[in-house]
Amino acid sequence: MQAFLNQLPQQLVNGLTLGAVYALIALGYTMVYGILQLLNFAHGDVYMVGAFVGLGTLNALAPKSGLLLPAWAILPLMLLAAMLVCGALGAVIEWFAYRPLRNAPRIAPLISALGVSFFIQNAMLLLLSASYRTMRTEVLLPIRMGFDIGPARMSAVRALVIAVALLLMVALQLLVRRTRLGRAMRAVAIDREAAAMMGVDVDRVIVATFVIGSALAGAAGVLVGLAFTQVWHFMGFTAGLKGFTAAVVGGIGSIPGAVLGGLLIGLSETLAVGFISPTYKDLIAFVVLILVLLVRPAGLLGRRAQPKV
Amino acid sequence: MSLEKLGEDEWVEQLAARQARRGPLGRILARLEQANPILLGGALLAAAALLPLLTANEYILRVAGNVCLFALLALGLNVVVGYAGLLDLGYVAFYGVGGYSYALLASPQLGLHLPSWLAVPLVVVIAAGAGLLLGLPSLRLSGDYLAIVTLGFAQIFVLLANTMDKVQLPWLAEPLNLTGGPNGITPVDPISLFGLRLTSTSHYFYLLLAALALLLLLLRNLNQSPTGRAWRALREDTLAAQAMGMPVRRLKLLAFVVGAAIAGFSGSIFAAWQTAVFPANFDVTLLITLYAMVVLGGVGSLPGAVAGALVLVVLPELLRGPDTARLLFYGGVAATTVLLARPRWHGLALLASVLVAGFLLRLVATASWPGLLGPPPVPVASGLGALAQSWLIFPLDAKTVGNILFLVVVALLMLASRLRHAGLRFALLVPTLYLLAFVWETRLAVEPSVTRLLFLGAILVLLMTYRPQGIFGKPRVEVM
Repeated sequence: MQAFLNQLPQQLVNGLTLGAVYALIALGYTMVYGILQLLNFAHGDVYMVGAFVGLGTLNALAPKSGLLLPAWAILPLMLLAAMLVCGALGAVIEWFAYRPLRNAPRIAPLISALGVSFFIQNAMLLLLSASYRTMRTEVLLPIRMGFDIGPARMSAVRALVIAVALLLMVALQLLVRRTRLGRAMRAVAIDREAAAMMGVDVDRVIVATFVIGSALAGAAGVLVGLAFTQVWHFMGFTAGLKGFTAAVVGGIGSIPGAVLGGLLIGLSETLAVGFISPTYKDLIAFVVLILVLLVRPAGLLGRRAQPKV
Repeated sequence: MSLEKLGEDEWVEQLAARQARRGPLGRILARLEQANPILLGGALLAAAALLPLLTANEYILRVAGNVCLFALLALGLNVVVGYAGLLDLGYVAFYGVGGYSYALLASPQLGLHLPSWLAVPLVVVIAAGAGLLLGLPSLRLSGDYLAIVTLGFAQIFVLLANTMDKVQLPWLAEPLNLTGGPNGITPVDPISLFGLRLTSTSHYFYLLLAALALLLLLLRNLNQSPTGRAWRALREDTLAAQAMGMPVRRLKLLAFVVGAAIAGFSGSIFAAWQTAVFPANFDVTLLITLYAMVVLGGVGSLPGAVAGALVLVVLPELLRGPDTARLLFYGGVAATTVLLARPRWHGLALLASVLVAGFLLRLVATASWPGLLGPPPVPVASGLGALAQSWLIFPLDAKTVGNILFLVVVALLMLASRLRHAGLRFALLVPTLYLLAFVWETRLAVEPSVTRLLFLGAILVLLMTYRPQGIFGKPRVEVM
């Protein structure tokens, strides 16, 4: 019991970091699902591409010989590059794989999404071979840098991950609540046809949703690379699965729900790994999912949708 | 519009004409549709049964057996996805449950050696039970949750198969080795039927072929039964089906369980044939392959699922040899170009332009910058490969350039496929096809296994966006 109490604060910090990343991924799922009722399987792979773009930017700006730019400039550049590339990738995926299927039977875009996911994974495999790559976070943020919160150690990397994730979530919330685009997004989510009749350019709103969601996934990829230093072509599969689980747990279509779900999944996973066994790490998210859905079938913050005819 | 058609709009009136088969493939398919399906299918299967008499080649028989096995699996998936319209991403796990339960019931692993007539039906019951167990909670929820829960289940299955080699049980002192971890369970007893132990490849080919014939007959009848009709109604419009008083939840569950049972049955034969099971046998790649088979043949079509399995099992085998792979690739590109072009001679003109442009580029490049050119990454001495390689030019660091151009080609192909303007498309396709050949020689032909997977992913997207009905399916027309 004493050991448990000693470890708990540190595990909470670790869980919060992981949860922040899951939340960022979950946001993209929840936004796309809210608008198109489409499970975008390729989202996890967009996140993987983001991690690789971040890695490439880091390697380009910080070669073995030393940093070309100060560390505080490289970090935002990594995030920016990943968000731009992933945003563009999201728009291309929407345009090529989903838009022609807007009015197709529901299963068609899902299979298309499965294909996109598989294609991106193997394109990365072709380009970069199957090995794990290491992100040299220590050249930007020394491992020992950080501060203590009571008994827990908050390393600089983890603080950065949590801060950036929070910043992006607040920005997203402002965008959705306060801007014209945000209002259009909410309108399309509620009723696409009615929104179109009111003069909302539905296609543009959908593209914007994909771009924003994918950019968030790209940022999540960079943050994960920084915090856990390992990047490989298959990382998007599990992360995407957990991101979606987080979105469903929080109530799919709800933005605060995605954040809550991400944190919940991240925390329970870290705690289970720390105190039970690391073997069944990937099982935890599903146990949480099933437990939550049994109690609240629409997720924690979700509203039960009435089928419209 | 004539008076009796009043109230039926023009669009509905032309429905039959719109659904009619067109094109050369369409005409062949229309001819096939008129034939008696049972006679035709029976004749084809009987012809397939002659295969072991014609050849004793172990490899060919193994591939033929694999076609039957994958056809069984695709047919099972077709019940869930095609008939009931449920996105079951845990299908491979049921196959795995089947394989592993057979391996546990008939192997030295637990010391159980149940006879096949008992083990196989037991496996089917176990797999169906697993389907019921998973389907009950997830089908209570809205439709898409099924996809995520089943995908999670598939992942958990592989995880458990990998880690349950040291299970602590309170009444046992030693940890129990249940699944053998990554090393799997081996050996597994072969299947014995009426006292005959099935050991050779041709035995399993006959067993699988017989199972396939039986399953086709069963599914055909099931599809025409009230249950089959109810499934289709459910797929087209769940809400309307529910309003008509159909027990939607029970029907979905039934489809799910039937699919799981077929997968479990296939798994048991697979385990007995391979005389082993490994966690890696049941991964996501298999799932994508099965989906590609079902989609390629046409979702919901029985001959489609079998044809999809045939194509996607045989094609990768042909791609194994670099020479046949090259022939298939260039032949496929040329055929696609000509067949998709309207009018057809545009396609021929396009191919000729690409060839001429390549020669010109080579002439200019070898004359102007000979220092920048290098040898091809994998030189081929003779045949089509040598021809293609002497037509292309290769820069010094061909691998990096090939990687970059791979991305460029993917982008260009996507763009070209959506361009409406014929002239622009023509102009775009000339460099695209040239670069495609370059990327093939530098990257795709070098890594055939990755290329195969890329191809599978692309099939899913392209078929869904261009021909969602697959080869055998009929286009679905939605009347609003």
